[in-house]
Amino acid sequence: MNLAVELDGLRKTFTVSKGSLFKRTRREVVAVDGVSFAVPQGQSVALIGPNGAGKSTTIKMLTGILHPTSGNARVLGLVPWNERGRLAYHLGVVFGQRSQLWYHLPPSDTFNLLASVYGLDKADFAKRRDMLIERFGLAPFLDTQVRKLSLGQRMRAEIAASLLHKPSVLFLDEPTIGLDVVARQELRDLIREWNREEGLTVFLTSHDAGDIESVAKRVIVINHGRVVLDDKVSTVRRKYLGCKVLSVKFHEAFSTIALDGVTVLKTNGYALKLEVDTELVSIERVIHEVLQAGQVADITIEDPPLEEVIAHIYAAASNPEENGYAEEEVKTT
Amino acid sequence: MKALNKYLAVASVAARSNLAYFGEAASRLLFLAVILYIFMRLWKVTYTETGAAQLGGFSLEQMLWYLAVTESIMLSAPRVALLVDEDVRTGALTLQLVRPLAYPMYRLWTTMGERVVRFAVNGLAASVVAWVLVGPIPWNPLGLLALLVSLPLAFAIDFLGNFLIGLGAFWLEDTSGLVLIYSRITMILGGMLIPLEFFPDAVRPIMQALPFASMVYGPARAFVRPDLAELTVLVVRQGLAVLAFSVLIGLVYRMALRRVFANGG
Repeated sequence: MNLAVELDGLRKTFTVSKGSLFKRTRREVVAVDGVSFAVPQGQSVALIGPNGAGKSTTIKMLTGILHPTSGNARVLGLVPWNERGRLAYHLGVVFGQRSQLWYHLPPSDTFNLLASVYGLDKADFAKRRDMLIERFGLAPFLDTQVRKLSLGQRMRAEIAASLLHKPSVLFLDEPTIGLDVVARQELRDLIREWNREEGLTVFLTSHDAGDIESVAKRVIVINHGRVVLDDKVSTVRRKYLGCKVLSVKFHEAFSTIALDGVTVLKTNGYALKLEVDTELVSIERVIHEVLQAGQVADITIEDPPLEEVIAHIYAAASNPEENGYAEEEVKTT
Repeated sequence: MKALNKYLAVASVAARSNLAYFGEAASRLLFLAVILYIFMRLWKVTYTETGAAQLGGFSLEQMLWYLAVTESIMLSAPRVALLVDEDVRTGALTLQLVRPLAYPMYRLWTTMGERVVRFAVNGLAASVVAWVLVGPIPWNPLGLLALLVSLPLAFAIDFLGNFLIGLGAFWLEDTSGLVLIYSRITMILGGMLIPLEFFPDAVRPIMQALPFASMVYGPARAFVRPDLAELTVLVVRQGLAVLAFSVLIGLVYRMALRRVFANGG
């Protein structure tokens, strides 16, 4: 299996100074604390964690912007901080809060510039650009100044721009931030399609559970600079809340359901919403009880929202002592 | 060749982007025309009152055209130091570092593209004002050649000085104070309003040797009073300044990159 990204004990510390000119205290803050994982080519991975968890620092080391304090990493076989120039030709990077498009010019001008920056062959570039314009629906605003575009249009152009040079790995840092629901979903669909069809390795950081669910197959949770969880998105959801939500509509008044592991979330007329702890009671048992309670018109079983799963993981990993994390005071002058 | 192409493309996009700032260009031109008119009137009165045909070796025509060039140079300067400062402090630098571009070269060429457009527009407006007040300057191809050769080097020196100040953002809270000092020193020691010939003999050689003179006074003087020998000295001085600044920036930039924090995305 070819690996797109490999990290081995990657660690990054920053020295933070505090105090007055004459009495300064320097502290070493551990931003990334021995992170190790590997990502095969073509996989879509979500790197998540609360603010200050170390995910952006990890991404910056993987893109060669930051040098680690210790540890190793390879991206497409290259050491990012030593071979940043070479690696840049194979990476696409989108920062949701920063734009690579020239604000006063149309996206087409930035596309042409990027073709020169990446040294793309004219014919190849034209073919690729036209394909991206079609797939990302850019034609209606391709020649409109970026400052006049909506955020959704701009983000579509941003991602298309970062795919022009056919990168092997795409880093997406909060790509849907600020977008409305429709634009957000459109963007997620496009990223997912690209990941599947081009075998593009996608590395996503986001606080939006919907992004993670739609785009990523695997989720790596970082907290206090350490990997606290690394698993499939579907497994994480199943394993970490072990519960389902049942929504039932009856034709008539229904009798009460009292079972261990079942919590009534809401009742409204002939409607009932239950949370089922599948470790205590099976879904089959609950459905059987529901059918006994009244004449059922409709029943749906849902997984809990990923937000809850993530909140649960963060809560479990939030104790610094438990994780061995602490800011080390190294020098006082 | 490919590397040059990419940076030329950067300069071209920067130049086109700058053309979009109509409001800013119009206000700059208005400011240029007003201050140029005032300073030119002052010099005109000075020449009339003293009755001198030449002051500091400059005729009135040469003096007013000198002012047209120096003002066009000064007012064409993009805010490089503040842009670099902003890139560093906001973390926008990261966006440039993940591309196959050298950040200092990227900033150099965006500045060049922008400045060429600004200087061309300023120069046109300043020429109109000078033409109206004293008529055309006697045509001398060497003067034009001097401008074409020395101006890109002058812009490069100014860029390097500003870039160095901008890199200060890696260590300082705010570099705007340094930018202000730098621009005021450039105005005075660069001979923006008064050619260096008017300064005392004791300090003139020092001022001429400083990079500020190579940025403003040198190209303007070479345009209005062209002299091949003096042009050669100017270009050598400019070349040395570019070299010295480049070496310094190379060292500082290397140290600065080690300090890249760029936290929080």
